[in-house]
Amino acid sequence: MTRAGFAPSRFTPLLTSLAAIAAALILGGVFLAMRGKDPIAAYSMLISRGLGTSYGITETLIRMAPLLIVSAGLLISLRAGVWNIGIDGQLLVGALFAGVAAAAIVGQVPSPVMWMVAALAGMSGGLLWALVPGILRVRWGLNEIITTLMMNYVALNLTSWLVKGPVKDPAVVPPQTILIPRELRLPAIPGTTVHVGLLVGLIVVLLVTVLFRNTVIGFMLDVLGRNRQAAIHAGMPVNRLTLVALLASGALAGLAGANDILGVKGLFQGNWNPGYGFAAFALVYLARLNSLWLIPFAYFLSFLAIGGEMMARPLGIPTYFVEMLEGLMLICFAVATYVERMRSPFARAEEVETGPANAGEPPGPVLGDGLLEPVAQSSGGQL
Amino acid sequence: MTIGGIPLAAFVTAMLAAGLVAAAPLVMAALGEAVGEKSGLLNLGIEGMMLCGAFFGFYAAYQTGTALWGVLAGIGAGLTLGLLFAILTVSLRVDQVLVGLAITIFGGGLTAFLYRDIFGGQNPSLNVDTPRLAIPLLSRIPILGDAVFNQGLLFYLAFAFVPVFTFLLARTRFGLQVRAVGEHPFAADAAGVDVARTRYIAALIAGTMAGLAGAFLSVADLKIFQVGMTVGTGFIALALTMVGGWNPYRILLASVLFGLLRSLGNGLQILGINVRTEFITMLPYIGIMVALALLAGRTSLPAALGVPYARGRR
Repeated sequence: MTRAGFAPSRFTPLLTSLAAIAAALILGGVFLAMRGKDPIAAYSMLISRGLGTSYGITETLIRMAPLLIVSAGLLISLRAGVWNIGIDGQLLVGALFAGVAAAAIVGQVPSPVMWMVAALAGMSGGLLWALVPGILRVRWGLNEIITTLMMNYVALNLTSWLVKGPVKDPAVVPPQTILIPRELRLPAIPGTTVHVGLLVGLIVVLLVTVLFRNTVIGFMLDVLGRNRQAAIHAGMPVNRLTLVALLASGALAGLAGANDILGVKGLFQGNWNPGYGFAAFALVYLARLNSLWLIPFAYFLSFLAIGGEMMARPLGIPTYFVEMLEGLMLICFAVATYVERMRSPFARAEEVETGPANAGEPPGPVLGDGLLEPVAQSSGGQL
Repeated sequence: MTIGGIPLAAFVTAMLAAGLVAAAPLVMAALGEAVGEKSGLLNLGIEGMMLCGAFFGFYAAYQTGTALWGVLAGIGAGLTLGLLFAILTVSLRVDQVLVGLAITIFGGGLTAFLYRDIFGGQNPSLNVDTPRLAIPLLSRIPILGDAVFNQGLLFYLAFAFVPVFTFLLARTRFGLQVRAVGEHPFAADAAGVDVARTRYIAALIAGTMAGLAGAFLSVADLKIFQVGMTVGTGFIALALTMVGGWNPYRILLASVLFGLLRSLGNGLQILGINVRTEFITMLPYIGIMVALALLAGRTSLPAALGVPYARGRR
């Protein structure tokens, strides 16, 4: 049996993502039409305002920065087969640490020193928040999906508690840290009004690319994510690698929090929760766990979010439309990966592999196959 | 004896009632999740399914003025998403965590979009009748009676599901098939169990229960809808399923403890005791992690949890 006219290339995974995005946009358009709105007008305004105005482009680039940093971190953990669903909590704690650190030294040291200190504080905050699920995972074998999720809610409450009391700016009524004056925040990239956080995001993406292409640790993380058993048999320090993946993604989430404090907000406010976590998930999957592809997809998702905000009022389309689109993209992506798998020349081999000899093994890679294997095989299978 | 100007007995009753009402949706969602997980399906879409149950339940009850239609719509929404989850994870064998998160993101966006689009800036509350049913005699028990035996119909239903699910999982052919499929799908298949069919039914049960739990929140309990109103209740149910070790009675115990811890936080605040609400609110989440750590090694996961099953084709 032959499979007609299909030669897989290195761009096949990319095409799968693009097909998923196209399908989601079409479904979203049908949905808009069902709600009595003009999808053509909506999408053309999305494009004309989001891509065609300098405000739209600037805002898109500003939003890209935290998204790039967060998703570069998430990519590390997902490549290693570690489910860090606690991005939002790690980002919040990092942002609070950064806000407090910056407020403590603002005006007393040169601004670049303050930025570095706040960035380090942010990273340590995120790292600390990832450390708890990390220890629970390697010490007691607790599945990180549940613990990172729970840590999100602890973070939400803890940060809003701290910002109402211990670290509150006593001079103002609302719960927030001391405001960093605009002129002391991150400067704009020369010739633009986009702050340098974007460059940080691009550098982080490049560093993660180098990590996986050129370093032993990156290689071991990849092996761990693809086949945990192989990593164990090869004598890799599996527990330490798991911890490294979680901590790295936590630290980067914290850095993204610091980025928003130093570049955009200037302070940490109670009940602030940007919720980049879900967008980062969509982003990392659409980029097919390929770090360089994060850049165009981050631009695309940021553009959608900003364009969605810009078209909301004139067209009466609530901004939540974009969140719905992200969900639709992931659902379509799920279907698209199935199609990709079935059309692959390896599809038949995969099917046979799931015979008795390999019962209980995942049938074939969707994305870093066996991502849940750590759950099923962790010391005696505990959660 | 009074506490903060309120008679102690009345205070305890109110705390107990609030805790149990908070526990009811958790019990329902967690029981459904337990069946799903026993069959090998880890459903992170539970949060989105609950939210859709809450919204569509609210909308139907708002339109018809009848709580029953709201509950049915909530179930319908959960069932639909449960079916989507089953198609993607069982038939197409896509990663369960990916599909679950996709459904949760989609559900959050869809319900928020529809709510804002339909109701604009308004936040109407439901004007439906959800009568309290006082159980004769039992509701007269001092302190306990009014909290436990003077509640709405859906409240009793939530707790009645506990023995039902125990029976379902432990005593029926379907329950045996669910457990077999979750532990060793290949052996189950060889023994003639339809793995895909069993998992489809389990996913539909999980979706239904999540939708029902969502409808409980919006239609029976709060009588309003809010954007993102579940605030992680689905994920908590997911965690409680594991704390309870997939055993309905232990899930009940874990949910009630969680609900009581939560209502205690509100109670202290009402009494004006100087504890930050946020500090109390985060205790149940920490409690879940501590419980999981303490229970580690005593409960074992369904062996095939998260692993898709494909029969070898020749």
